[in-house]
Amino acid sequence: MSKITVAGVRGSVKELLDYSENTKKRNFLETVELQIGLKNYDTQRDKRFSGTVKLPQVPRPNMTICVFGDAHDVDRAKHIGVDAMSVDDLKKLNKNKKLIKKLAKKYNAFIASEVLIKQVPRLLGPQLSKAGKFPTPVSHADDLYGKITEVKSTIKFQLKKVLCLAVAVGNVGMDEDQLVTQIMIASNFLVSLLKKHWQNVGSLVIKSSMGPSFRIY
Amino acid sequence: MPKRRRAALLPSNIALLQNLIRRDPGSYKEEFLVQYRHYAAQKEILGTNPSGFHDTEAFLEQIGFIAQVCTCYPNETKEYPEDLADLLKTHHSVLPVELREKIVQSLVLLRNRGIISSERLIQVIFPLLTSTNSKSFRKDIYTTLVRILKNANRNTKTPKLNRTVQTLLFTLLESTDGPAAAPDGLWAAKLTRELWRRSIWDDPRTVEIMKQAALHGNTKVAVAGVSFFLGVDRERERAERKKRGLVDDDESSSGASSDDEKDDKPQISGIKHRMGINKKTGKRARKLEAAMRAVKKKEKGASLPTQLNFSAIHLLHDPQGFAERLFSQTLSRSSGNKFTLEQRIQILNLVSRLIGVHKLSVLGLYSYLLKYLTPKQRNVTQFMAATAQASHDLVPPDVLSPVIRKIADEFVSDGVAAEVAAAGLNTIREILTRNPLAIEADLLQDLTAYKGSKSKSVMMAARSLIGLYRDIAPDMLSRKDRGKIASMEMSAAAAAGEVKKLQFGVENVVQGIPGLELLEKWRKEQGLDKDDEGAVPKDADDDDDAWEVDVSDSEESDSGWIDVESEVEYNVSDEEDGDDLNPDAAEELSDDDDDDDDDDSDKEEDVEDNQPNKRVRTEDAMQTLMATKILTPADFQKLDELRTKAGLDKILHGGKAASVAKHEDTVDAASLLGPKTGKAGKEERLAAVMEGRQDRQFGSKKSKKDSQPHSTTNKEKARKKNFIMMIHKRDVQGKNKKSLRDKQKVLRAHIERQKNPKRKR
Repeated sequence: MSKITVAGVRGSVKELLDYSENTKKRNFLETVELQIGLKNYDTQRDKRFSGTVKLPQVPRPNMTICVFGDAHDVDRAKHIGVDAMSVDDLKKLNKNKKLIKKLAKKYNAFIASEVLIKQVPRLLGPQLSKAGKFPTPVSHADDLYGKITEVKSTIKFQLKKVLCLAVAVGNVGMDEDQLVTQIMIASNFLVSLLKKHWQNVGSLVIKSSMGPSFRIY
Repeated sequence: MPKRRRAALLPSNIALLQNLIRRDPGSYKEEFLVQYRHYAAQKEILGTNPSGFHDTEAFLEQIGFIAQVCTCYPNETKEYPEDLADLLKTHHSVLPVELREKIVQSLVLLRNRGIISSERLIQVIFPLLTSTNSKSFRKDIYTTLVRILKNANRNTKTPKLNRTVQTLLFTLLESTDGPAAAPDGLWAAKLTRELWRRSIWDDPRTVEIMKQAALHGNTKVAVAGVSFFLGVDRERERAERKKRGLVDDDESSSGASSDDEKDDKPQISGIKHRMGINKKTGKRARKLEAAMRAVKKKEKGASLPTQLNFSAIHLLHDPQGFAERLFSQTLSRSSGNKFTLEQRIQILNLVSRLIGVHKLSVLGLYSYLLKYLTPKQRNVTQFMAATAQASHDLVPPDVLSPVIRKIADEFVSDGVAAEVAAAGLNTIREILTRNPLAIEADLLQDLTAYKGSKSKSVMMAARSLIGLYRDIAPDMLSRKDRGKIASMEMSAAAAAGEVKKLQFGVENVVQGIPGLELLEKWRKEQGLDKDDEGAVPKDADDDDDAWEVDVSDSEESDSGWIDVESEVEYNVSDEEDGDDLNPDAAEELSDDDDDDDDDDSDKEEDVEDNQPNKRVRTEDAMQTLMATKILTPADFQKLDELRTKAGLDKILHGGKAASVAKHEDTVDAASLLGPKTGKAGKEERLAAVMEGRQDRQFGSKKSKKDSQPHSTTNKEKARKKNFIMMIHKRDVQGKNKKSLRDKQKVLRAHIERQKNPKRKR
């Protein structure tokens, strides 16, 4: 496909939603993913890129988050109903690689209070940043709930060892307009990151967790 | 032909027999069997007494002969490959050199004929690589191995074969591990490096082999592994460029293909030319068409997605473990001083690259480095470069700040030489670009005070530090140093109530599309967003032309034509313009002047009123523009343009600079010294001159041709020919026999030519 159109995206989204709502409804909330294939990308000359963008809607409401906090933040987190760990809890992990890995696996993202975040590399070692889940700082003045939503609705594009990447942009519970908006924002942002913009994009595909994929570019 | 047949029966005339067998295997079976029996007998003799074997010549011939015709008698020669392999395996140390070579050659031939598999061949010859004592034989085997793998991976990769070889290399490295072991592992490292350089192997498994080598107990092997990671990417790039360029020293096949490419263009122009002159016939037209098709096909092939060329460091499986082991095994004190200083620097360089690229945390490294960061340390700039490479934004600032403090104390003080201070300041800057939190405001302000230094390099280094912090944290600079733009931004941010402070753990990556609000504003002004009120603009993505922006063109052209293009296409109703109005035509239609005016006013407004509510605007722009319209290449071009006009790329540290990962960059030790001041020496000046001359366009064609390596021309041959051989030739004799008048004429012409060489005779 030589270009991407809003109408085309809309059509694909319609089909996608139709499949996962009518044809084969699953027992869980399917996530909609944007998969990107890059082309003409020289990984040595054009440095690897990374960037984050905040979407208007939370793509995955079921994301699990853990707060590393001082007493105040732990209280706040408990109040909202989010898992929280204090410094002592972290120290209990005792730099045990397996336990830390387990922790990193258990949650999708982490938030740490400002006072604590500088200790995180010492307490937990490289495991978290290796998994791409280094905590986001939050200060006492910040609204913790707001921060959590922000973390949940922020998506990150980062090129790893292969020339393709995928991000969750929404779920099938959203309506068509919302999904189209999310997809457009994500793809526009991605393209803006690339050095040669659309010339670097090989394909854009949207896909729900269990459904078929739809190529939009 | 009875005569010839009789000749073939002679046991000595093997070449003829081979020829005949090729034509008619069935009827020469008997003769073949005779030869085969002879070969078997010889082999027996050789097997019993290898050192006393004399009849090498004949045996050589027989081996070659059987290898050649073995496809014709598969049943009779079933054991032949294995026999050869056995011979090689058991007697390779005592066999005569020619015989050894011939056996390897024959085995390769058998593989080419498909009688034995590549795996088998490699299994046979690979052990010899390390077990033989002969240097030349080793080299032979090495080149053979490379060639086999290259041919096997020519069109598509053959994972199975690669995997077997990689396993062999792995085991070779593992089995020879230990400090006292012979450096057999070196061959594994060498082979892997070569294959990586040629992009024959480019998978993570290959990298794992080299990782193993780098951690090898033997110093030589370890250094080979380390230097692979540091240097092989540049090597590979050079090899690629060479392959694509004109020079190709590699091998005949790819050389031929590049020759083809060279020939194509002139061929087409030639055909076209002939079409213009000669009679136009259908055949010629078809010829041209075919040639065009071929060229197009080739071009398409050239622009196919480039193969994945991730650098070896990126493909590592467990970089953290690797870096930790490398550090603890080779660098820390417990390992003893096995390595020389140069080697340690190399390893340190790799460890720091690993840390930088993968954002690892090897906290012991920084205290290790402290020891070496004094001006008197040998090769201190390399240690400094490593320090800078090893810092990234996830290193806790309290680990890095002692390092910075030490550099500041040792290098940047009044008592030291200018270049030492410059190196110190530059290193600090490099560290701080990667981890801006590692310094306190006081120390930073102390350092920036060197901006008034009399030494140019120190002054520039201090200024670059100021420039860096203007971008990322102007509040840490003293008021004077902040500069107009940064302080304006700061006051604006303070007024809006959101003071941005550096925070640990917040990655410095692009968030959103910087400068998008400019694009939106511009679109509004151009009246393009009229129909944006609806949820989705109808024609926003029907703009075919906006998708076909010629990039090469746009770099040269000024702001004019994109505006114009989109203007045209939006003013005319969307259906009609697409087919016949191309951008070039549109460009001619309009005038550039008013566009420029628009842009200027644009910029002024930006500076005046954009500052206070920039954030709000940015958010707005994100929401409306990104969500409703797909940004076309034309839009991106406009965006870039607007951004540079507004100076945004500099102001916002989230510009292009941030999207590029700084922490992956290497730090060049030489560049830390800053620009060289004072008069350059003669050698440097000469080098600069030569560099300037490198791609000069002018100069005679002949001198260029002569400077390239070429075979002897006929002219040269004639000039160098022995005169005695020429003396009776007519060319020479004729000169003597010329009449005086003719001689005079020739002489006159010669003198004229000498005086005025450009004039034609």
